[in-house]
Amino acid sequence: MNSIFTSIRRTPYQSMASFLILFFTLFLSLFFFSLISFFHGILGYVETKPQVTIYFQTETREADISRIKRDIENTGKVASATYMSKESALEIYQDLNRDNPLLLEMVSADILPPSLEVYTTRPEYLQDIATFASGQNIVDEVVFQRDVVDKIVSVTNTMRLISISILVVLILVSFMVLMTTSAFKIALKKEEIQLLRLIGASRFYVRAPFLNEGVFFGFVSGTAAFSIFYGVFFYFRSFFDSYLLGISELPFFGLEAYNLYVWPPTAEYIGLSYLMTITFGISIAYVGTFLATSKYIGD
Amino acid sequence: MITFDNVSMHYNSGVSALEDVSFEIKDGDFVFLVGPSGAGKTTILRLILRELTPSTGTVAVDEFVPSEKSFKDIHKLRRSMGVIFQDFKILPDKNVRENISMSLKVSGYSNQYIKEEVERALELVGLPEKMEMFPMQLSAGEQQRVAIARAIVGERKIILADEPTGNLDPKTSWEIMKIFKKLEKTKTIILATHNADIVNSMQRRVIVMKGGKLAKDMKKGGYDF
Repeated sequence: MNSIFTSIRRTPYQSMASFLILFFTLFLSLFFFSLISFFHGILGYVETKPQVTIYFQTETREADISRIKRDIENTGKVASATYMSKESALEIYQDLNRDNPLLLEMVSADILPPSLEVYTTRPEYLQDIATFASGQNIVDEVVFQRDVVDKIVSVTNTMRLISISILVVLILVSFMVLMTTSAFKIALKKEEIQLLRLIGASRFYVRAPFLNEGVFFGFVSGTAAFSIFYGVFFYFRSFFDSYLLGISELPFFGLEAYNLYVWPPTAEYIGLSYLMTITFGISIAYVGTFLATSKYIGD
Repeated sequence: MITFDNVSMHYNSGVSALEDVSFEIKDGDFVFLVGPSGAGKTTILRLILRELTPSTGTVAVDEFVPSEKSFKDIHKLRRSMGVIFQDFKILPDKNVRENISMSLKVSGYSNQYIKEEVERALELVGLPEKMEMFPMQLSAGEQQRVAIARAIVGERKIILADEPTGNLDPKTSWEIMKIFKKLEKTKTIILATHNADIVNSMQRRVIVMKGGKLAKDMKKGGYDF
């Protein structure tokens, strides 16, 4: 540890450059990781919602809706179909807008359409059900939930692609900076390295202080990136709370069994984020320093 | 035992440093390497240390064959030797104890052993009271003694010294040679030098190099080329 602090003291600017580039890379990695995890959570959430909602004309009789419900159930492609009367729809509306009396005054059960919320057994049946429902003359509108899912999938994929591209560039820049700063530090200790090699130090023995320093920077940068990211996150927690009103929980890549929830973030999820950030930081720093020492410390 | 068998060394620049050199140095020998500048003395030391590999021929040091291109145990070979340089190569930011103990640390000795060995070596070179001093606080002769202490600690059986008295006044040079005399009972010593007085008065084996060739190999010789 002493040798690491001595080295930092002797090369403060190079050390700062290593720290900052790693910090920047890890902070953005954590940001993108959280964002993609969040969108996956949203995707999972949307997929558990009614996948096809069939809205009927307001004057449609319940008997006609029941007939269509039976026809849909008889296709064998439906897990469940739930009838939502005008009154039930009004109750839900009133519940959602109970803090806004003006909106409540303006709406009565008569203007809300009755609907059927249909879950299919497999996603590919959604289109069949939607097509069948659209062909009925008493149906006013079919909201095909798959469209929303497809949009989220598309956004998530685009985001993943952008994130990976940015991270690849950042990782390459990190390697370059780490290699350059390590090369500078190696040059400063050239005499000592030559002497160590002549008195029988193995290559690993000579490399070890540089690698240790790299690991130290990876750990410190990762911890700093994590602390600042979650500091900002919790500072804006109330904003996210209001934005995600009605969404009780978003699982992390379907790993809810391990208490891994992106929203609200569980201790397990935060712990995993920290572990991943410092592992990633240490790996980048170790590989960057390893490449530099391989190149600049000879026999 | 160190063996040179028909060793030649040609640099890429076309310069020929050694030409077909063969000799043997037995364990416990004290050998002077003499000759004019550029005769190949330092090249011989560097070949033993495996800082260089010969163009042709074989260099063997005990069980090691450092002349092989694929030789991997460089650090093990070097841990069996101590090296002393004309310019001492003492690290200025480390004190005497740290400079000497680094020679043992690289071999992975325990702290207790390192402490005892450093004290023993400093006693041998006559600097027990300077253990915590930094090189800047030492004279040239004292710095060279530190370098010798660093070369003899642990289980280093061979001492390679490249002009160890080259930067020292005659009186200090003799003090350094007295240390080598003390060491010759337990170590193999190969000492490259231009100091005729020392070679002539010590009357040890002398290998004379001239233009990269072995000119003479005398059992008890003087400075003669």
